[in-house]
Amino acid sequence: MTRRSKHTSFDPDAFWADIQPGEVLLSARGITKQYPGGVLANDRIDFEVRAQEVHAVLGENGAGKTTLMNILFGLIQPDQGAIYLRGQRVHFRSPQDAIRYGIGMVHQHRKLVPAHSVIENILLGHPRAQGILRLREAEEEVAALAETYGFRVDLRAKVWQLTEGEKQVVEILKALYRGAHILIMDEPTSALTPVETEKLLESIERMSEHKLGVVPFITHKLPVVLRISHRVTVLRSGRVAASLDTQDADEQRLAELMVGRPVLFDVQKPPAQEGEPVVQVEGVSARSDKGNLALDNVSFTVRSGQILGVAGVAGNGQHELAEVLAGLRGVEQGRILLNGQEITRAPVLARWQQGVGYTPAERTEVGSIGEFTLVENVAMNYFWDPDYNRHGVLDEAKLRELTEQILEEFRVAAPGPHVKAKTLSGGNLQKVIMGRVLSRRPRLLIANLPAQGLDIGATEFVQQKLLEARAEGAAVIFISEDLDEILMLSDVVAPMYEGRVVDLIPADQADKETIGAMIAGSYQQQEGTP
Amino acid sequence: MTVGGYRVRILRRATLPGWEAALFSVLALGVGLFLFGFVFLFAGASPMQAYQEIFRYAFFNANGIPLTMSRFIFLALSTYAFIVPFRAGEWNIGMTGQIYMGGLAAYAVVYAFGGKVSKDVPLNPALVLPLMVLAAALGGALMGGIAGYLKGRWDVNEIVVTMMLNFIAFWLVSHMIKDGGPFMNVGGRGEGFTLPTSLRAPTVLGMPFTILFVLVLAGALEFLFARTSLGYQIRAAGLSSKAARYAGMDTTRISLWVFLLGGGIAGLAAYHYFAAVPGVYKIPRNYGEFGDLAFFGIICGLIALGNPLATLPVALLFGGLSIGGRYAQGKLHLGFGVDYALMGVLMITLVAFQFFYRYRIVVEPLAPEPRPSGTPAPSDLASYGGE
Repeated sequence: MTRRSKHTSFDPDAFWADIQPGEVLLSARGITKQYPGGVLANDRIDFEVRAQEVHAVLGENGAGKTTLMNILFGLIQPDQGAIYLRGQRVHFRSPQDAIRYGIGMVHQHRKLVPAHSVIENILLGHPRAQGILRLREAEEEVAALAETYGFRVDLRAKVWQLTEGEKQVVEILKALYRGAHILIMDEPTSALTPVETEKLLESIERMSEHKLGVVPFITHKLPVVLRISHRVTVLRSGRVAASLDTQDADEQRLAELMVGRPVLFDVQKPPAQEGEPVVQVEGVSARSDKGNLALDNVSFTVRSGQILGVAGVAGNGQHELAEVLAGLRGVEQGRILLNGQEITRAPVLARWQQGVGYTPAERTEVGSIGEFTLVENVAMNYFWDPDYNRHGVLDEAKLRELTEQILEEFRVAAPGPHVKAKTLSGGNLQKVIMGRVLSRRPRLLIANLPAQGLDIGATEFVQQKLLEARAEGAAVIFISEDLDEILMLSDVVAPMYEGRVVDLIPADQADKETIGAMIAGSYQQQEGTP
Repeated sequence: MTVGGYRVRILRRATLPGWEAALFSVLALGVGLFLFGFVFLFAGASPMQAYQEIFRYAFFNANGIPLTMSRFIFLALSTYAFIVPFRAGEWNIGMTGQIYMGGLAAYAVVYAFGGKVSKDVPLNPALVLPLMVLAAALGGALMGGIAGYLKGRWDVNEIVVTMMLNFIAFWLVSHMIKDGGPFMNVGGRGEGFTLPTSLRAPTVLGMPFTILFVLVLAGALEFLFARTSLGYQIRAAGLSSKAARYAGMDTTRISLWVFLLGGGIAGLAAYHYFAAVPGVYKIPRNYGEFGDLAFFGIICGLIALGNPLATLPVALLFGGLSIGGRYAQGKLHLGFGVDYALMGVLMITLVAFQFFYRYRIVVEPLAPEPRPSGTPAPSDLASYGGE
């Protein structure tokens, strides 16, 4: 067996010439990876991608998707197993190797430079960007590429000005411009609006028609898998649970393969027991970080025992709404009352102390501290609490006890309360954050995208916990981009568009189409309302 | 990387036990001393003899030990002045300026009590000494506080501010002690007036009592970071200011606090060197050298990974090396600057060895490569694929 050393010259154009429809472009055999600590993240995984094929990899958090993805992209090296491109054994020592051989990666957390323009980002790291930048020439080439696949994006725009969907397009174009023939996509639809998702799915179809192999890695959006993929490989506990043609699959079957047991798709919601108003928002306006009006005269009331479901596409003010309520963002106009008392300008800590609880969407950057132990993370909501802080000294024993309770009650898979938060998976981390915030028994709970990116089990769990908080009389503001989830959990739906709450609709009168139109901005035009 | 049938891999560590960290520091030290041995060889001295001279003088000589201890105290306090903001994620590069201001403040107290006139002025040490210490701490704290306030309130880069304030303080000291400045020595020799004998600092076991500052601070800072709510908030802000703000911590106040505290400790270092070390007892003409020495606090703090207890051996080692190195340089007729070169080399190896804090190197036999099941010969490019 000849090993391709990195010193041999590699001509990507020759290598990828004359791809036949259905030809196996990439095949991985017996991929095995064990982490220090003994976790077998990948266990003899076989996997192949064909030309003109969308081959989805599906699996819950911890099933080994990320490891497999990182191995295919050269970020980590497998302990055993081999990767073949068109039958030829390849070794990726780094992502640079993988890119050179024609593997492209579209990250879930975008790896772009916000202050740079789209074209500059696309050129960043490209061989032709060494030395003198020939922007105009590159621009024309990229524009042609975008045209081919039906992407529309302003190449001169700065990346920070783009929506998540547009940023993703930039990542895709970047990979394609580097000559990717196999495109790995990490959770491609997770940050997208319904409209953007539609567009992306069309583009993926078009890419696969162009003899590319497309490999989306997906955690829980089963409809997306069914819609776009030709084949799907389901991972469970590091192994291939099944690899099947998508036409032979349905949602129920895939879910069972992922979880290894039958799955209920409905969380039981008891009837509402609504009480006094807990939070009243009156004509609140606020600005985003960029200085534009992100919240425009928003008003609503949430009562005890009620869930207000804030629906909307990312970037329509939901995030700012959560921050305004938590005290992290200043209010320009209007006022906020909590239990009848004005808290419009109250500092963050005062709000926690008065019973506001906030679980942010940015779990690793805001909601937790990765270098802190779980006990220290729990202390984030207790360092000021007289029961845990005696004359400025923290009561470690009590904090540890509380942490252990939370880990147990929220069924967090962690070796113990003293591990660092960064060692937890996304789902477990979210459980710790929710557990910490709910352990304060908040009167008002603001949950920003609480189930986003979680696997089926954790999603169900988080949703259940929101309903429990509601049953205990909390007012819950539940922000989500997933309309099914909004309709399932909310008592009142508040669709947001461009910083406004379009309407407040009782859940029993809400339907997906109307709300979908409202958050897309098309409803207002039809009705002629301001 | 493969070497003769073995695979060498570099793996990221999840945890680092304390004893391993200590072991790597000792190893680093050994490697650093070994490497610097070549410098002695080139300088025509025997490395063994040179090291013997250095360590014997620094740690076992009746003349050397007090000098070492004074250096140690100064370095440890400079390190603490760096560490406290460092734990909050902020870089205090301004210990030097804070020390100058602390020194001026301490001597302002003496000046106010009329101590400038002559070194024989009888002043009540029970009253004036504590005031001097307090003033030194306040002077340093206020100087640090400027950076802390600007950082916390307006997010002005603290590195730039503290760095620039160093220059202002440097020239302010010159203005005060030279060319007819108010603190100028009566004899007009371009240095500060001498501390009255009545105000000389008491000693503990032959050392300036400022050693107590170091020991108390070691315990107090360790306690602050490990156990208290304020220390917890400082650490949280240092790791993630966004998370700290989310949890309701007042990051503006934390910035101010750490710089007040750090600056205050730098002020104590000033009191120590300018008013408590035997043989100095004034703001000397070469005060800039003392200020420059404070920069070693940054490296000591980094080597100690911001840990107040680990600071003690690190500061002691470098305090001793700077004294012993200077002595050996003279005794063995080595070139100028060998002492600082030695400290520099050791600091570099210590910092370089921190690689092992984050990574492990694993050597294991190569596993046989798996053959893909049903895969044709790899060279058979075109025939592979298709249904």
